[in-house]
This record gives sequence, structure tokens and C-alpha cells, in this order.
Amino acid sequence: MSYYFAIIGTQDNPLFEHEFGTSKQGGDGQPRFTEPARHLNQFILHSSLDIVEEVQWTGSQLYFKAIDKFFTSYISLFLTPSNTKFLLLHQPSIPTSSSSATTSAPGGSTTTTPLRVSSTSIGANPTSAATEEAVRSFFVEVYENWTKAVMSPFYRVGMEVRSPVFRARVAAAGRKYL
Amino acid sequence: MQSRDDASLAHSVQSLPAAAPAAMRPLRKSLVGDTHPLADSEASLPRRPANPATAASLFRSTLTPPGSRSASPAPSIARSPSRALAGSVFGGGSGGFHQSLVDTDAADSPGDPLNLILKSFVPHIAIHGSADVDALVADKGVRGGLWELLRPFGERVQGKVAIRDSNGGSRTWDDFAVRFTRFGDGVEEPEPGAGGVRGLPAAAAASNGLETAARDGGLIAQVETVVDRHLRYAEDSYMGITSPPTPTRQALDTDATSPYYALYLRRLLSGMPVACHESFAHPVACVIAISSRNPSPIEALRKLYAETTQGEKKLPVWVDGEYLRYYVLVHDEEGSDITKSMALFDQMKRHFGLHCHLLRVRSSESAETDDDSIPLPRSDWMTAAEELADIEKSDSHEDFEDPTNRYIFESDATAIRTFIREMVIQSVIPTMERNVSVWNDQVASRRRGISGRFMSLSKRFTFGGSSRGSGVGVGPTNNYDALGFYRPDTQEAIMRRLADFAFMLRDWKLAMSTYDLLRTDFQNDKAWKYHAAANEMAALALLIMPQNMSSKTRLETINQMLEQAFYSYHTRCNSLYGAIRCIILALELLRLRGGSGIDEAVRWGTRVLEARLIGPVGDALLKERMAICYASQQGVGSQSWGSRRRKSALWSVLGAEAWIAQSKFIQAQRCLNEARKMYSLLPGECGVQNFGAASDFLARLNEQLKEGLRIEFPARGDGGGSEDGSEEEEEEEVDEESETLNEGRSRRSSVIPPGAGGGGSLETAPLTALAPARLSDIEDEGDRTPPGKDGFG
Repeated sequence: MSYYFAIIGTQDNPLFEHEFGTSKQGGDGQPRFTEPARHLNQFILHSSLDIVEEVQWTGSQLYFKAIDKFFTSYISLFLTPSNTKFLLLHQPSIPTSSSSATTSAPGGSTTTTPLRVSSTSIGANPTSAATEEAVRSFFVEVYENWTKAVMSPFYRVGMEVRSPVFRARVAAAGRKYL
Repeated sequence: MQSRDDASLAHSVQSLPAAAPAAMRPLRKSLVGDTHPLADSEASLPRRPANPATAASLFRSTLTPPGSRSASPAPSIARSPSRALAGSVFGGGSGGFHQSLVDTDAADSPGDPLNLILKSFVPHIAIHGSADVDALVADKGVRGGLWELLRPFGERVQGKVAIRDSNGGSRTWDDFAVRFTRFGDGVEEPEPGAGGVRGLPAAAAASNGLETAARDGGLIAQVETVVDRHLRYAEDSYMGITSPPTPTRQALDTDATSPYYALYLRRLLSGMPVACHESFAHPVACVIAISSRNPSPIEALRKLYAETTQGEKKLPVWVDGEYLRYYVLVHDEEGSDITKSMALFDQMKRHFGLHCHLLRVRSSESAETDDDSIPLPRSDWMTAAEELADIEKSDSHEDFEDPTNRYIFESDATAIRTFIREMVIQSVIPTMERNVSVWNDQVASRRRGISGRFMSLSKRFTFGGSSRGSGVGVGPTNNYDALGFYRPDTQEAIMRRLADFAFMLRDWKLAMSTYDLLRTDFQNDKAWKYHAAANEMAALALLIMPQNMSSKTRLETINQMLEQAFYSYHTRCNSLYGAIRCIILALELLRLRGGSGIDEAVRWGTRVLEARLIGPVGDALLKERMAICYASQQGVGSQSWGSRRRKSALWSVLGAEAWIAQSKFIQAQRCLNEARKMYSLLPGECGVQNFGAASDFLARLNEQLKEGLRIEFPARGDGGGSEDGSEEEEEEEVDEESETLNEGRSRRSSVIPPGAGGGGSLETAPLTALAPARLSDIEDEGDRTPPGKDGFG
């Protein structure tokens, strides 16, 4: 399971990006995206904003679970005030060959990981209740940190967040829940 | 800097040089022709036929010769049809399904997929002519026999055709079509017993050796190859002909179908084999033809008739032998005596009843210079194999006889049209209508009521020794198991034919309800290929017919059917052709339904891509198509909430990537332009420029594209002496195109600032050397925008 987390501002501009891998099931927390998947992830995330714009009116909650799917990648959404969106792209690492080569779909991770995630882990099934709960916890924790981070007197709305402390906290939340 | 002033300034400046290249073009043509006869591109030309116009006519369907571009039969553009039928959060979801798709405008434009679908599921009429008929037709210059002469005319039956539906209501269609096939062609053998593993190679008793290729996978491959040839031709002619490629220009319209995609669909649908699991390609009627040259006409007719019922040319057992026989006497106006023919015709009428026709044609070949000659239209629905053969012939033979360059007398054409109209209106359609009503009364309606359901239930549990089904030696419980197909006299086969006939007669409701009954039957019998086909057609009929259920439940039903069809075709039967056809057709219809149908359409398209069913060309075409799907989703309000522009752009980029990987740069350019346009329509107008890796990737694609186009361009300039001059012209040429793009776009919607990167980005680099006046303009922008912006303003 590899994750690509991005905070998107009001102008479709990324305020913060972070890639990480799962730390559950003995994962080392490293993302396993292939090189072409890197840019594709950004495209996918960007294209999901279309769906975000649509679903954001459908419920009163802030956390929207998996709103979009692109081949094997799933997108979860968390809305914050000021129209900043947290988007998490998660990609199970199981299908390694399908659709990666010819269709240039986001191929699974590299096959070098010796550890196969078991079918019960949150990585295996991105739409399971357990995964949704884990992602929610992750989002909530990041949200708290985000609120603190943008409180900084030097931060202006729409600016990219470069704070290493914030990045570390996001990484920690990722390790903790995903 | 994207202010109105700037925009208008840029506009006025740009409009200036647009005239220059036009004046320069002839000059350049002569220049190229004179000084670089041995340039690279020329060297590759001898492979092409001596007369380029000949080859161009072969590729007419996707490419119109540069001279006649303006008059090209481009897919109709100004349509605003079913787009309004939204069903999403923003669309209100009400209007979506109330209208039959056939009533929308989409059904009328020739390149549109819906129109293709209507035109592909049409009655098939087999043609079985005696040798003397073929000889007569060959005298007219048509080699393939009567079949080839008639075929183009069946594609549109002249005048209006009235069809009664099962409720007695009548409706007229003016675009009814029939398909003529050669008798006994294209038969696909079922897998015995196993429920169909893979469509076997055709045991086609085809007279030409074309049909020998493996039907199923082979067909897809052929379709791919044909489209690929068309694409390559477009690339080549881009290189060899002075005019810049127009596809980039017309591609900016989402309503127009890409000609290559239309071609792909058409070739996919035209190769429908005579298979046991569906009866679309089974002959509805058979034309038995003799000519007036035949010394013993009545005997010849008898012999031909006998051949259709027994002997080695007979159709396989699963085809119902009770189709209509239609007898035609082809009278040779120049070589035979009309009184004799009339006498013979009267005799035929006495023998065979009403289904007879006297077709009077001249036997000599018509030349272009003749007064009343008209070009013999080329069939739009030739199979991929045939077209491929034509293309290959034109490649290899210098003296290739151009199939598009044939003429017939107008009087002959009129006679043929009259014949076809008469046959369709007086014989074929009434027969079909009668069959439909008889089968509906005797077989299907019994199954519809409560008792019918019970009957099928009791049948499954084997008590009540079933009285239906003819005792052909199949087990009492199951008509399928023993043979691997249903015999034509079984209840299931009759109902399938009923449903297919209803579908061909455009009685969607009857078709749908019958397919629906069949779905469960076939599932119980584990006849998976039948099951898949019934599900497929049920979904299609449901999509086309007018709806009154809420679109949501409707979509769920459709999804379920498609799911079963896809699974049965793909996994259970391994039938590539079926799976692709099913999904692509459903995708198109879902797209036309709009609203959440569009998301579904793309989801299904993704399934096909994921399963990797199609080759590289189809893959790229499909990606392009998905971009168009998403682009046709219109938003609500000024922000156009609910539109799918980013998604559309994503698919365009993927399409461009796929095309570049195949070195199809013109197509790639189209896709990138499309993506650029979509990104520029976004509220922020910034696309993916803020995403580092993504905008780098776009820049790289642009780079590759530029590289690719340049390879094609200077190929001409390289060999020559006046390096500078030709270079400049290249640039001018490219330049012009970007101008057109910009202008076209800014006219299309005033939202986009014309100077904002847009179409210019591809060609800005060569520009600098040439036109300092504009340079300042563009540099201004280029300086202030980051590289990503440059790509996708």
C-alpha cells in the first residue's frame, strides 16, 4: 500500500504534498510508486477535484471516504474550512502487473517488497470499514496539525506549507494509522 | 497580462500573418517539388501508389484530400442534444431517461456512434446468385458479383419505411438499412457442449481467401490494423502534403466523433459473424438471383433454392431454415429480349408467388465520361479484412484498380434502389412483422404471465414432461446441453430471434422484455455465450428506449446486465469480440444518456482498458474517447459545477501519451490541445501547473511531440540547398496552424484569453527566429509564466 497525500488550496494549487508507504504489517513506510506513477498520481488527484466539487454538497460531514477510483487508485477526501481539501490517494500493492504496462495506469508498487499484505489488512481493501476508519483518524490528526500550522503569523492563505515540523507530524500520523 | 487589451492586441496581431502562409503555399509547393526531389520523405513515397489520389480515396472515411477540406463530410457539429439530460447531483436527475435516444439528434449524424449502432443491427439479407448473374455483373465492372453491386445501396433504403410495432402502432423511419451478405459467408462454429470456449476460427466456406483468419481475436487485430493504416496514412500525408493537418482544428469539438474512432466502431460492428448465440447476422431473407442469360431459368432457380436448404453451402443447423426466399431475375437490357424476360418473370410469379422482382440493368461498363454515369458508392460497412485487402493491394500493385473509382449508369442505380425498396417494404419487413407477432403470441407471451413463470420453474425441476421443444433428441430439461447450441425450433431460439427481429425493427420495448426473459433461461441452462449476448442486448435496448423509471434504478439494472454480459463474454467464454463490442456500445449509449451515465460510461471503459482487451490503437482511441465522454458532461451555473473538465483533461493526456508512444504525432497533438483547452476552461485556469511532476511530464510530452513533428517536417527541407528558405517556410507553416488554433479558440469562447499559452506553446520556439513583432508579445507572457503554465495555460 502506498499513499500520496496532498492538501489542495482553493485554486487547485497543492499546498502540501507527501508520499509515504504503509507502516502496518511490517511495512517500512516507504512509498512504492513507480516512476511513471509519480506524475500520474498528481494527475489523478487533480482530476478527482471534479468529483470533490460534486460530492462536497451531498453531505454535512467533512470526511467523505473514498470518492473516486482510477484503475487501482482510490481517493479519499476530507474537507476543511476555507475550502482547503485533504486528498489521500491510496493504492493497494497487490496488483503488480495488471494495467501498468500498456495502459500506463498507475502500476502497483514494485514487486521487490517481500511482504505481501494479508487480505485482512487495511491495505488490501481500500473500501473496507477498517480502512475508512484508519483514513479518518489520519485525516483528523493531520487536520489538527494543519490548523496549528496555518496559525503561524508568517503564513498567508494559499501559500505552500514548507514547515518541516508539519511534514514530520504528517509522517507520524501516517505511521500511526496507515 | 491576460487583460482584454492584451487579448485584443494579440488577436489583431495574430490575424495579420494568417494570410501570408496561404499566399506562400503554392510557392512552397513548387519550391519543394523543384529543388528536393530526392529528399527523405520523397524517397519513401514510391511505396505509395503512383497516383496519390487513388490511395486517398481508400482512406476517404477518415481523411479528405487537402483541397476539399472545407467540403469534407465532417461529423455534424452544431448539436446540443441530449447533453441537457443530466442526472447527477446538479442535474436534478429528472429529465434523464424519458426520451428515447433514437429521438435525439445524435441518431441522425452519420459518424455518431448511436447512428452506427442503429445501422449495424439491421436485417441481413443473403445473396445467392447463379454464375450467369455474376458474369453479368462482372461485365459491368463489379468483380464481387451481385452482392457487391447491391451492397452500397442497402445502406440506406430510399424513402421512408413504415414499421408496425407489437402494439399495432406504426412509425416511419427514413434511415432504414439492410445489410447484404454473400450467402454462407462468415459462419462461426460454436464450441460443442462446452458452452462456448473461444470462437473457433471460421469454417467459412468463403470464396475469397480472406475469411480464413481466426474470427475472434483476428477480427480485433484486423480492425486495429485498418485503423492503424488510416492513421499512418494521415501521418504520411501530413509529411508529404503541404497543408497542415486539419484534425487538430476540428478536434476541438467534443460533439464531433473522431473519424478514427468512428471507423474503429464501424469496422468492429461490420464484422458480425453468423454465430449461434445471436441471430442478427442470420439471414432474414435470401435473394436468389438468375439472369436473363440463363438458358434454363426455372431449373436454375430450383437448383439455387435447393442449395440454400441442403448441400454443402447450407447454413449450419442452428440457423433457422425458414427465412424468406426472394427471387430476382436480372434482365440484361443490352443483350436480352425484354419480352422473353417478361414472360419468364410472369412464370416466376406463378411459381414462387409475390416475392419476385425483375431487375433491369445494362450489362456494359459505365465510364466516368458517360453522360448518365454516377460513381458507384463504396460500401461503408465492408469488413476490416476486405478493407485491409484493398489497402494492401493498392500498396503492392502499381496498376491497382481503384475500387472507389467505379461508375454505373444512373438508370441502373435507380433500378437497384427501387428493387431494394420494394423488396424491403413489401417482403422483408412484412415477413419480419408477421414473424414477430406470431412468435410473440405463440411463444413469448405465454412466458410473460404468472403461469409462464411457473412453467419455466416447473421445467427446471423436470416434472411435467415438457411438451415443447420438438423432440430433437435433446434432454427434456434442457435444450442446450446436448449440442452446445439451441436448435432453431426450440423455444429459446425462437424467442431470441423474436427479440432480435424486434430490435432490428426498432421495437425496443418488446426486444427488451424478451431479452429479459431469455437472460434467466440461459442462465439456468448455463448457456453462457447466449447468456452474455442476451444481457448485452437487453442493456442496449434498455438504454435506447424511453424510460420512466428513475435514472438511478435504471442505471443499476443496466450495470448489472453489463456486468453479467462482460463476465460471461470475457471470463466464461473468452470471447474477445463480444466483450469489446458489448462494452463499447454500452459506453456510447451511456454517454448519450448524460448525467451519471457518463461516469458509468467511463467506468466501463476503464474496465476494458484494465482487462487489456484491445490493442494499442484501440487503447489510445478509447482513452481519447473517455476524454470526450467526460467533456460532454456539462456543469451547472457559472462555475459549471459537476462538469468533468479535469477528468477529461487527464484522459486526453493519457491519450496523448499513448499516441506518442506509437509515434502518431498528429493524434497526440490533438489530444494535447484538447487537454489544454480543458485546463484553460477551469475556474483557476491553471490546470496542473502547480503540481511539479505532472507539469514536468506535460512539458516532456510537449517536447516529444515537437520533436516528432519536426522529424516529419524538415525531412523535406534537409536535402535542399536553400536551407534557410525552406526552414522559414516550415516555421511559417507551423505558425499558421497555431494561429488558427488560437483564433478558433478565442472565437469559440471568449472566456479564454487567446494569448495565454494555449495553442502557441508547441510552436513558440521556432517562432522566435522569424517574427520579432509577435515575439515580444509572446515572450512577455512566456517570461512571466512558469514552464508549466506555458504548457497548459
